[in-house]
Amino acid sequence: MFGYVVANLEKLSPDENQRYRSCYCGLCKTLGARHGTMSRITLNYDMTFLVLFLTSVYNREYTEGNERCFIHPFKTHDYWINEISDYAADMNVVLTYYKALDDWTDDRKALSFVEYKFLEKEHKRISLQYPNQCSTISSCLNDLSAIEKSGELNPDVPANCFGKLMGEIFTFREDEYAADLKAFGSALGKFIYIMDACIDLKRDIKKESYNPMIMTSSENFTTILNLLMADCIEKYRLLPVHQDKKLIDNILYSGVWTRYEADSRKTKESDKQ
Amino acid sequence: MISDPYKILGVSPDASDEEITKAYRKLARKYHPDVNHGTEDAARKMTEINAAYKQIKSGTTSQGYTGNYQEQGAGRSSSGSSGQRDPFVFGFNPFEGFDIFGSREESRQQRNNSFEYDQVKSFINAGYYEKALNLLNNITDKSAEWYYYSAITNSYCENTITALKHAKTAVQMEPYNREYLRILNQIQNGGRVYQQQSREYGSTMGNINRICLGIVISNLCCMLCGRPF
Repeated sequence: MFGYVVANLEKLSPDENQRYRSCYCGLCKTLGARHGTMSRITLNYDMTFLVLFLTSVYNREYTEGNERCFIHPFKTHDYWINEISDYAADMNVVLTYYKALDDWTDDRKALSFVEYKFLEKEHKRISLQYPNQCSTISSCLNDLSAIEKSGELNPDVPANCFGKLMGEIFTFREDEYAADLKAFGSALGKFIYIMDACIDLKRDIKKESYNPMIMTSSENFTTILNLLMADCIEKYRLLPVHQDKKLIDNILYSGVWTRYEADSRKTKESDKQ
Repeated sequence: MISDPYKILGVSPDASDEEITKAYRKLARKYHPDVNHGTEDAARKMTEINAAYKQIKSGTTSQGYTGNYQEQGAGRSSSGSSGQRDPFVFGFNPFEGFDIFGSREESRQQRNNSFEYDQVKSFINAGYYEKALNLLNNITDKSAEWYYYSAITNSYCENTITALKHAKTAVQMEPYNREYLRILNQIQNGGRVYQQQSREYGSTMGNINRICLGIVISNLCCMLCGRPF
């Protein structure tokens, strides 16, 4: 359900490209430093967006650097980090932990057991620092699991649940931006959840698994997704954007559609055959 | 109302929730237009199957989670917010200066529900969206008017998809009702504006894996663990 909030790289200027890449590298580096090298595997673009977005809203400074990493041992890469990278890295771990715990509890997936055990200590530390986020993430994932198991037919119900989870992640702290960040995060979360469901529909029908969009005609998918993003943009406009506006706009107006459009293209091609 | 929804799904009336859901999904795999590039017959059959499943579920589903989330929605929408937040995207007040009950001929049923719809209106104006939804759920006659009020209420509860669906249904049932058309357009308008702005960016041909080999590796690991993210 992640990896949707990405940039449309082709529409970025070289500087913006560099800025985005450096943000990603910074988050990766922070993950490694705070939670161990193996935790870098959990890195996703959505948390990169979180760093970019919160840095912009709070107009935070950042430290730049340039180094090699184990994935790129020969060439150095630029990166930038700040305390929001720390926060996003922690949230990344928490999300991964709870999801792994869920998968182990529900489906007894062996790898999930390994994963959740591996992250247990880190999760404990993080939950002391961010009790709100951790309890909301945990309860939302539990609720989401129950909603999906009950075969809920109204897609708004699970979408709002997942939205609540994202809303909490975007609420960096309780201050004058909290309510608006929560609203923005929720709207973005709803979009992600529904887009994921739209993309997975065919596969879920064939596997006879739950999908909230099963009773919605696929002709309406694009309209619905546009409506959800419109709602997200409305919330975005309420927040101050001090930095990287073009990059953020790129992501919210274009990049978020990357996987959906790729999936539509694939469907069209396979229909032709 | 279908007289025997269980027969359509091929289950006995005392089948468990799990059996009913399994039967539904098995039929969906066979008839859903998105997987069988449907014939018209298949599409018709799917509509029937969906209606039967919906009917059974609405009779037996616990309102627990729906209740919670409507509550959450109501709570969030009705509490004061720091910025100006209008859930009705472009600041539209559906009740401003428009008398729904104008000079239309009303059946006795409609007159009976008039009182309830007035109450729904009052709840919405006061910000008690959950109460409005509960009241609507108690009205069994799902007329176009019901779908109209449901669309508005759900919109305030941030149940965007339901709001859109119900606005469309209201218009389908009474295509010449200007007010219903207005609501539908109002709901859809934000999406159209966004879509236009999004198109100006051009479509994404992107290969997002270009940023870092690490993301390719982590995606592979995700697939191995079988987790969705």
